[in-house]
Order: sequence, then structure tokens, then C-alpha cells
Amino acid sequence: MPKHLHEIRDPIHVFVRLDTDERSVVDSAPFQRLRHIHQLATTFLIYPGATHKRFEHCLGVMELAGRVFDVVTHPYNIHEDIRRVIPQITDPKQLGYWRSCLRMAALCHDIGHLPFSHAAEKELLPEEWDHERLSRELILSPEMRNLFNAMTPPLRAEDVVKLAVGPEEANDLSFSTWETILAEIIVGDAFGVDRMDYLLRDSHHAGVPYGRFDHHRLIDTLRILPSPPAQGDSLSQGDPVAQESGAPTIGVQGNVPQDAPAQTSSTAVAANQSGVAPPPVVNPAQHSHPSYIQYPREPALGIEEGGLHSAAALMVARFFMYSQLYFHPIRRAYDIHLKDFLKDWLSGGQFPTDANRHLEVTDNEVTSALLHASRTPAAPGHDAARRLMCRDHFRLLYQRHPEDVAINPEAGEAIFSAACEEFGEERVRRDRYSQRSGAPDFPVLTKDGRIASSLAMSQTLTQLEAVSIDFVFVDKAILNKAQDWLRENRLAIITPTEGPDDE
Amino acid sequence: MMNRLQVAALLTKLVRSMRHHGSWCGETHVQKAAYVAQQLAGVPLGFEFILYKHGPFSFDLRDELTSLRADGLLQLEPQPFPYGPKFKMTETARRLQQRFPKTVTRYENALGFVASKLANKQVDDLERLATALYAKSEFTDKDDQQRAAWINQKKPHVTIDEALAALAEVDELKEEFASVIV
Repeated sequence: MPKHLHEIRDPIHVFVRLDTDERSVVDSAPFQRLRHIHQLATTFLIYPGATHKRFEHCLGVMELAGRVFDVVTHPYNIHEDIRRVIPQITDPKQLGYWRSCLRMAALCHDIGHLPFSHAAEKELLPEEWDHERLSRELILSPEMRNLFNAMTPPLRAEDVVKLAVGPEEANDLSFSTWETILAEIIVGDAFGVDRMDYLLRDSHHAGVPYGRFDHHRLIDTLRILPSPPAQGDSLSQGDPVAQESGAPTIGVQGNVPQDAPAQTSSTAVAANQSGVAPPPVVNPAQHSHPSYIQYPREPALGIEEGGLHSAAALMVARFFMYSQLYFHPIRRAYDIHLKDFLKDWLSGGQFPTDANRHLEVTDNEVTSALLHASRTPAAPGHDAARRLMCRDHFRLLYQRHPEDVAINPEAGEAIFSAACEEFGEERVRRDRYSQRSGAPDFPVLTKDGRIASSLAMSQTLTQLEAVSIDFVFVDKAILNKAQDWLRENRLAIITPTEGPDDE
Repeated sequence: MMNRLQVAALLTKLVRSMRHHGSWCGETHVQKAAYVAQQLAGVPLGFEFILYKHGPFSFDLRDELTSLRADGLLQLEPQPFPYGPKFKMTETARRLQQRFPKTVTRYENALGFVASKLANKQVDDLERLATALYAKSEFTDKDDQQRAAWINQKKPHVTIDEALAALAEVDELKEEFASVIV
């Protein structure tokens, strides 16, 4: 009799457990290909330990997705408002289907990744294509559909796609509230398990401890909650205390003990001391029926107050991992050389988008070609390959500085353009990236049953900088000359001049 | 097509105008105001909106608001418990606007109109109005009854009557905008 449950040892989660249906996907060719895609592209050239692959990351994301699902759908953890807005959350049959679907989506969320992950994605695919779209095509392929259909219960490939990719990337699809929340569990801005796993895993393998945080505590305190209130939100009906004060009474949880402390948030206490009148405390026991809430606010993935420090630690970990590891300037220079090589090496200068041809190319084929090209002056992409393999990468000439940005938000662009003019385009490169997410504003369920914005409760979150980089690199051969030139001309270059002001 | 800094000048101007008219100016307010400015008032901000959080929502705009914070053009002002933060325009943003006098002059009346009409609306009002505008823009071949049914299906907490009222308000706003803004 075949074993129904399987375990895979994992350095982050100890064991990843999967059933036979899930194992059939792990054993498929599209998933096995991920054994040959580096999670962090060329980062191992700077941090030698960072040789881990997408394969184990996807297993880890599946493991965490299952854990989060079990926590947020546990009957004790379901908020009264949410029970009304998301009926699926109390239907055991539906829960079983969606748990399987969520874990499968987590497993498959990266199967469309190109060789060397993100390093060479943007310029090397046709317009409108990215790894999410490739993942989507693969999940909907006949091979994967057959696997999903053979499962118990059978999974709809379209549902797997929605949860794996999310509304941002699948903006042509319509998401229900429930589907939106489930997608948020995987790819969400604040608490997506994709991010949780990659921070922990990349930190572990690179030997950069900044990425660690207490994910056990964080997951245990995750909840689906009504969005935090904004001032001016509708007053509650039938709640005289709130109506008199003008305060919202959104999100009182029915299962909070009657002897819950009136106000336990240290931030709330601080707000009192600062002279700002907080909204009145509502005794949850007096409001166990939710009808006094004028309308339900949109649900979002949030956290119980007890997990707020873990959540802040996640956000801080993310900030440091971006600034210290993912945006290490030499790694970014290597990415540029890799892109230059691939443009010359690939047929037509782009990766294929056909599913079968996509599956044929991994880091192994690219690395082999890189080595060959680096030793063969006549080979396409020789110069870029040589720079990568012989560590003759471009050097950092300029990086974004707050003082410069205050003078000109596009200071990096100004310096890049001037350097191209001065030294020639072939010897200068630019790399710019800004954080793709909003402020870490998520709902927090306080110990006395109220819903608050995380940014009203955590100064750590409020103070967190947005990650933004802007690098200008030059050929090592001209570095000294370029540095002298920049020292003399920086201010003149970045100071805005009267320019065109036309659409 | 405007460049990034021109769009930044207009977005920060919109935030300033919203605050001036008394808006709370959290992210939801800015998202909905930018949508109305773009879709109803013709300000070419260039963001792609989908129906998501509290109605029309742009992930590109969310990212750009973060970039504007990183560039020191916007600030988030924390608010007392339990509320989310407000956006605030900075002095650097004011200087940026001065670099694009033609762009700002061309659209400041439209931005001011949108701000004056939306600033005092609550999040649920904004959601209804912006979703109604979205329905009008997406389903040009349907009548308001059909659009209201669609809104109610997508946003069950918005009743058919509320959706119809919001659709009528969109028509009034369009008419008023056409008569006020030359």
C-alpha cells in the first residue's frame, strides 16, 4: 500500500510534509526543473553559501501556507464580522478543498521562473510577460491539469492560478473576497508566506542573520480581520457610546472574554498621555451581536496584538535583507552582466515563452554557456561572460543619497546620463529599484477586541524606511577617472535646470 | 505622456488639495481621488486600476506612493489609536511642483475640483462613488440598473439602491465638472 504522507527534511521548517497528491506535482517535470534554478541568482558569487534553489523554497512556501490556513480558519480564531462576510470559512467541505488548493498554489507559485530567477527577467521576455504569467501558463497546461484532476478532491487549475499569482498579477481575473484573502496568504504585501520563507531561507543560506524573525509566533497570531478604520468611518448603529463620541466601533470580537482588560495597548496608553482622546472602550460582552456595525469593512490579513512585535520584526528583516543582500551593489552589477550575456546568447535576445521550450532551459545550461563564452573570444556574449566568470565586474560609481534626492528625486538618472555622455554608454550602467508595496498598514486585533491600524500601534513600523536604490556602475578601467569627474561635477549635474514641461 | 516627475508633481498637488479641503488623506482616499481625477476629470496620471480594495485600486499607484515617500516628496503622518496614517506633502514636493508650472497650471483646477468633491467623504462613500464610476467606465453598453446589480454582486455590502444613488452622483459630478472646468 503506498504511503499517503511523506516528509522531506528542511533546514528552515525541519520537516515539510506532503500527501501523495502533492508529491505527484513535486515529481512532475515542471517542478523538478526548480532544482536547477538558483533562488538568489548570482548572489553565490558574493555570498558563497547562497546556492539554494527554488525547489526547496516552494516546498517551504507550501508548508507555511498550510500552517497559516489552519490558524486563520480555526473556529476560535474567526472574527464575528468575518464569519458573516466569508461564509466558506465555516463550511468544512469547502475548507478542505481550499486548503488543498492553497497548498498547491503555494507549491506551484514559482514554476514559471526563468534561469537565475529575477536576475534577467524584465528585459529578456516579450512585453506583458513575466515569471508569474509563465507560472500561470504552466499551471493551466494539460500536464498539470491532469495531475490536479486526479487528486482527491480534484482541484480546478483556474483556482490554483488565482491563489498562486494573486490579483496584482492576474488583474484580468475576478477574485471573490475569500480568494483575495487566500492569495494574500501566499503573495500578500504584509504577511505573504512567500516572503516569510524567502527571508528565512535566504538568511540561513547566505549567512546573513538580518532575515530572521519569530515566524512561529507570527503565524500563530495571524487572523482574518476587518480593515482598520479611517477617521470619518460610519458610526455604528445602536451604539450610543460610539455615537456620542464620534468614534467607530468596528470589529468587536464576540469571543473575547468578559473580563478582558479595558485597554492594554501601551501605544494606546501613550496616546492618552499625549492628550489625544482615544475612542471609548467598548465592552465586547455587551456587543456580541454584530448588527450594530453599519457595514462590514473589507477583510484583510491582520494580526492579534500579541504578534505585533513579530510582525514588526518581519518588516525590519525585510528592510535589512533588501538593503544588505538583495541589493548588494556587486550582485546587481553581476545581474547586469548576466543580462548582457543572455541578450547575446539567446536566440532573438529573449527567453522563449512556449511552455515546453521554457522547461528546457535552467541555470545549468546558462552556466555551461557562460563558461564556454568566457573562454572563447568569438562566442556571443564573450565580454559579459568573462566579466562574470573572471570577477571583472563593473564598479559602483554612485549610489542614491538622501541629500541628493532632496535636490533632485532623479539624481541617479542625471548622473547616469552625464556619465554616459562623458565616458560612452558602453562603459556605464544604471540599476534602479523602488520597493513594490505600500506602507505596512494592516489590521491589529487588540486585547480588548478592537481593530486598529498597525501604524497607530507600532512606532517601529511607522519609522521604517521604504527601500529604494539607484546605482550607477562604470567599467573598472575608468573607475578612478570617473570618481574624480563625479567629485568635481556632482552638484552641478544633479541640480535641476529649466527643462521641458510638456506632456 | 508625462514623465515620472510630472506625475509626482500632480499627485503631491492632489494630496495637498485633499488636505486643504479637509480630507483625512489616507491611502484609500488618495487611491480613490486619483482614480476619479484620472477617469472623470481627465488628468493623465497613467495608472492602471482594477476592482480591489474599497473599489478601484492601482498597485502601480500604491508602489508610486511608496517611491514618493522614499524620495521625500510625501510623508506619512501617524495618527492616534486606532486610525491609519495620513499622507502629507513635503517642502521638496512644493519645489518639484515649481519645476513644472505648465503641467501644474493645466491640471490644478481639475485636481481642486476632485479634492473639493471627495475630501469630506468617508471611506464607504468613496468606495461606492469610485466603484460606480468604474462601472460606468467599464460597462458603457449597460444601463444603470444593470451596473447597480453588478456593483451589488461585486460589493455585497453596497445595496442596489446605494449603487443607483452613487451612479446618479457620478452623472452629476460629470455634468458639474464639464460646466465648471473649461
